[in-house]
Amino acid sequence: MSGLTLRLKAGAGERLDLTGVTPDKLAGLSTGEIAKLVVGTDKEHMTLGDAFDISGTPGDTLTIEGAGATLDFVGGGMASGKLRVKGSVGAYAGRKMSGGRLEISGNAGTYLASAMTGGIIHLAGNAGDGLGAVLPGERFGMAGGIVVVSGNIGARAGDKMRRGTIIVKGNTGAQSGARMVGGTIWAEGGLGVDPGFMMRRGTLIAPKIERLLPTFVDCGRHDLVITRILSRYLKAELGDLAPAPLPHFVRKLGGDMSTIGRGEILMPA
Amino acid sequence: MSQTSGKTINGVLIDDTFAEAFGMSATGMIITADTLKWARIAADTATGFGTSVIGCGAECGTDRILSPDDTPDGRPGVRILMFGFSPEALIPQVKNRIGQCVLTSPGSACFNGLISDQKLGLGQGPRFFGDGFQTAKKLGASRYWRVPVMDGEFVIEETCGVTTQAVGGGNLLIIGNDRPGLLETAEAAVAAIAKVDDVITPFPGGIVRSGSKVGTKYKGMFASTNDAFCPTVRGTVKSELGPDAIAVLEIVIDGLTSTAVADAMRAGLKAITGIGAEKGVTRVSAGNYGGKLGQYHYHLKDLI
Repeated sequence: MSGLTLRLKAGAGERLDLTGVTPDKLAGLSTGEIAKLVVGTDKEHMTLGDAFDISGTPGDTLTIEGAGATLDFVGGGMASGKLRVKGSVGAYAGRKMSGGRLEISGNAGTYLASAMTGGIIHLAGNAGDGLGAVLPGERFGMAGGIVVVSGNIGARAGDKMRRGTIIVKGNTGAQSGARMVGGTIWAEGGLGVDPGFMMRRGTLIAPKIERLLPTFVDCGRHDLVITRILSRYLKAELGDLAPAPLPHFVRKLGGDMSTIGRGEILMPA
Repeated sequence: MSQTSGKTINGVLIDDTFAEAFGMSATGMIITADTLKWARIAADTATGFGTSVIGCGAECGTDRILSPDDTPDGRPGVRILMFGFSPEALIPQVKNRIGQCVLTSPGSACFNGLISDQKLGLGQGPRFFGDGFQTAKKLGASRYWRVPVMDGEFVIEETCGVTTQAVGGGNLLIIGNDRPGLLETAEAAVAAIAKVDDVITPFPGGIVRSGSKVGTKYKGMFASTNDAFCPTVRGTVKSELGPDAIAVLEIVIDGLTSTAVADAMRAGLKAITGIGAEKGVTRVSAGNYGGKLGQYHYHLKDLI
């Protein structure tokens, strides 16, 4: 199989910034040029060749083996191709990703998929706080693409999220969809406390909620066409990773009424 | 003088002539509803008064019935097509027909029905009916508007594709000596054409009894009756009809591509010649302007 493999060396202990270490960015470089890319974050300017054993040839697939929580910005800026990570990653994985597919077999730190605009991320483990959330100094959080987390996620996922879809097979932490302005967070396990805090628009979907804000109101039980469209879209994009289709009838909770109240929490009914 | 050269199949003379058609722009929408019955009602209403671009602004019709597996929301649906002079000319037609006839129809939803790089606004007008309560959901490349209405939500995609490679005016002229039999044969041809994808037959029931020619003696009109094919004035004009002809019915075909129009004409011809002279059809011809106006020519001899 064509593609490049990076295997993390035992001595590479510092935090590494892997922004741009993606199949599409490396495709035009020789192995020598790839080895000289600076990924270190201290004054030593550690290169990719210093930190990783590099094998294979650049192609549509890039594999990172032996990964751990010291690897930040994994898949950062990826526009196409497939990046497979065997192990866990640190913070900001998939940042500003616009296309392609990022597969992580372990866990992810904070701010997975921040400023993501396209592509698909599949995380087999758990994710930290701020999945798809806005970063200080930025206007919005995640703005497109799909993230699937097979485990659980931390607090404030989708803070100021604008577009895109986050699917969590497990549970979310507190205040999922805080200040959300668009997009969808679908927690198949359930939502933590106070979901949709100050949300303006957007959709949260879950079978149960740990604690509901008093500023959400019951809009009744409805057969919504948009949930059928969403389920079919996700099935087409994700195949077996897609959540089970919602039943035709869902209960809609509207809010956050402390803002414009155009957001919604949908619960199978 | 009647056209007599050609080939006879099953007692029906196929004239050695051609249909002359024109380049048009076209767009398509998928309309779904809780039942196929209501999807068709919405589609029929939206495509009504859509026979000729001259007087109706657009030529419209239902292209095909869609199974739930083939629609974005998994409900029964149909695809309609609208043809006009240009993408710009289609904008008010789309806005008014969808806004007045699909938005208003119980349980309906409306989606893009034509994949194309060039787009027209589809939900960009009807969404404002939501008075600020409408919301959007962008999934992949498509944005869907959810407009609160009294039976739930009207979902409509933001844009629909438009092509400038469409063809309007493919046609068959069915000539005979038995009016009921002629109509029956024309109906069979329309049914056969309906099985061809990407085409519509925009006139009532797919059939025209008032074929037109370009020009008229009256000011302010662009077209007038095709007297050469009118049986009751045969003898007083330069007629195209033989002495036995008492009626002519035309099938006009619009298609997203020239190939689709040709396939539709072929299917129509096959249905007509399959029935043959038994129902009173004596001849099939086609309308043209001498080949000088339309860039698409469909020779009947190439379609049999």
